[in-house]
Amino acid sequence: MATSPKLEALLAEGGTEACCAALYESPAVRWFLGDELHPGGEVATRRSLGLIELRPGERLLDVGAGTGSSALLAAREFGCLVVGLDYGTDAVRRARQAADAAGLCDRVAFVVGDAGALPFADDEFDALLCECSLSTFPDKARAVSEMRRVLRPGGRVAISDVVADPARLPEPLSGTIATLACVGGALPLEAYERLLAERRLRTFAVESLDDQAARLAQRIEDRLRAGRLLERCRGSEWGPFGFEEAIEAVRLARRAIDQGVLGYAILAATAS
Amino acid sequence: MASQASRVSPQNGIARTDGRVLGETQSICPRCRRLLDARLLDLGGKVVLTRSCPDHGEFAAVVYGDAERYVEIQCFNKPGESPLERQTEVARGCPHDCGICPAHAQHTCLGIIEVNTACNLDCPICFAESGTGQQEHGYSLTLEQVESMLDAFIRAEGEPESVQLSGGEPSIHPRILDMLAAARERGIPLVMLNTNGIRLARDPRFAPALAELGVHVYLQFDGFDDATQIAIRGRPLTGEKLRALDRCAEEGVSVSLAAAVERGVNEHEVGAILRFGVEHPAVTGVFFQPVTHSGRFLADSNPLDKLTNSDVIEAICAQLPEWFRADDFVPVPCCSPSCRSATFALYDDEDLIPLPRLVDVEDYLDYVTNRSLPDLEVLEALEGLWSAKAAGGSGPVAERLDCIACATAMPRELRQVAARGFMVVVQDFQDPYTLDTEKLRKCCVSEIVPDGRLIPFCAYNSVGYREQVRLAMSGGNLRGH
Repeated sequence: MATSPKLEALLAEGGTEACCAALYESPAVRWFLGDELHPGGEVATRRSLGLIELRPGERLLDVGAGTGSSALLAAREFGCLVVGLDYGTDAVRRARQAADAAGLCDRVAFVVGDAGALPFADDEFDALLCECSLSTFPDKARAVSEMRRVLRPGGRVAISDVVADPARLPEPLSGTIATLACVGGALPLEAYERLLAERRLRTFAVESLDDQAARLAQRIEDRLRAGRLLERCRGSEWGPFGFEEAIEAVRLARRAIDQGVLGYAILAATAS
Repeated sequence: MASQASRVSPQNGIARTDGRVLGETQSICPRCRRLLDARLLDLGGKVVLTRSCPDHGEFAAVVYGDAERYVEIQCFNKPGESPLERQTEVARGCPHDCGICPAHAQHTCLGIIEVNTACNLDCPICFAESGTGQQEHGYSLTLEQVESMLDAFIRAEGEPESVQLSGGEPSIHPRILDMLAAARERGIPLVMLNTNGIRLARDPRFAPALAELGVHVYLQFDGFDDATQIAIRGRPLTGEKLRALDRCAEEGVSVSLAAAVERGVNEHEVGAILRFGVEHPAVTGVFFQPVTHSGRFLADSNPLDKLTNSDVIEAICAQLPEWFRADDFVPVPCCSPSCRSATFALYDDEDLIPLPRLVDVEDYLDYVTNRSLPDLEVLEALEGLWSAKAAGGSGPVAERLDCIACATAMPRELRQVAARGFMVVVQDFQDPYTLDTEKLRKCCVSEIVPDGRLIPFCAYNSVGYREQVRLAMSGGNLRGH
């Protein structure tokens, strides 16, 4: 699919991860997504952390922490010690501000880093959370290896992500915007399980959040339409991508969710 | 015969004990107006109001077309507020003490003044029984009477936000501009003229005069098919309506279209009316009103086949699926939740996005479900928008929309688009068949009558007040009962 020149330039400059981080830092995109940057929002985060039975005092790593809302939730509601890692410097800065505002600086830290080379020692964490990020990583196997490495034996990981059957996904949903929207890089459920199993992470629970994915997609489409309307009213470009293509992509995604070709799930696994 | 169609007998399968009981209330006998205990039932997925008159038998009427949604929306019910002044005492019991009486559970959001009974049309559906001919007990108010009625409204409400001058056909009253000016001079921000548009179309001086006064036009607009207009208004009117609208657009007069919707007549046109409104530069909102079966229209209706808000909302969503789904329409919580549902939308001439898609309006206007403390500024703004006092394009509405856009972190530029939000309202008024006194007690639309009483609109048209006022105004004693 055709993509916006702005995004292409970002991609050429810094690769998918830089582009992804920049996209999710854009105020326009943040408004399109609202507070809910992944299907199910806080409710899904609580469910993920509940599935891996996170306990007070445990050390949790949030890979792809964004502006920190899930990490803060984990510290606040589960009483654990949290490190949030993100590739976006601005996101990390905002996450730190949020931790400060919430008075949680003693229990939550945020670092800039690459999921493919985690800046932590082996066995450093009891638990790990990775929400709607694994699918966007260019080298997923390496990212999972890194997760396993920093997790102690018996540690648990909750991965929530887009689940897709790429063979049946309509062609435009494998383009750049789709990758950045966690769709293009998504795998079938079995492939995630295999990816984890190959790195000694045994999946013990899977929960579907397809209904939440459909709701979020509808919400994004509505907000993109509001953006397009505004662009027409002001007569010049607004936002970091072309609205027509983005809306078309979300519509395709909604249809794919209806057909069961695209969805969202939480996988919970233990490190052996 | 209406009374035959609505009579309930074991033969047609409906007895008062059938179905799931949704509530107990009171109603009236549509024939003798006697107060009766009544029951709300879920019958085949529709909410039916049933009661039995010792002299005239059983009566049943559909009051909401979707029983499941009816139960769901009961949470959109804001505790009532007291008016500053009540005009009557409790004597005979609701709905026979209207004034507003001390038992009424709400103040008045919208006051209506019917300035005359004369009209330049003879609509078959008229609930006011107005017309062009020599009228029995017809009347025309003086400017002084209207001024004293406005003052009564101000005594009751302090700073009322909206008033509507109606009739009859108010535009043919020789002093109508002075009456509208009197309302504006009293500081009422939204002054509406409820009109069929004929004078706007024919008199080139009328729209400029309304523009100068800052009056909002509430224009009857029922559809485009000649058959629709003949059924509802007695003759085709599209040409005149369009001329009236274009005059308003030229002069900068904002207009709400008001469509009377009747089953089997113009349900199929609701989408076209809405789309037309969105595209026309003068139109800032559309009000859909299922036709009430009172006035001269009482005779030929079947209350068990009555169109209700849920049916109109379904029709809108079926005809404009790219714009609307049912949960975009949130019940207005100041009146009873099944009376009025509304939405506001961001729009241009190509697309429309309902505000509830961007802001969790339902969360704010749910007064029952346990919820975290909402942003009070947003709540107040939403309460002002989801109210009978609101009309799209008015100053107070724009301010409230901007407040919500701001508080919900909408990008600054988008706020300007949001502030000129298009308003869509679905408003079901009650008639002698559907009258439910529990709903009536929360009614926030009042007819201001010449003796200074504020009579809830649905009581005015169902219980006999209209007839009393008319008789009194044409020479009898106003409180002649």
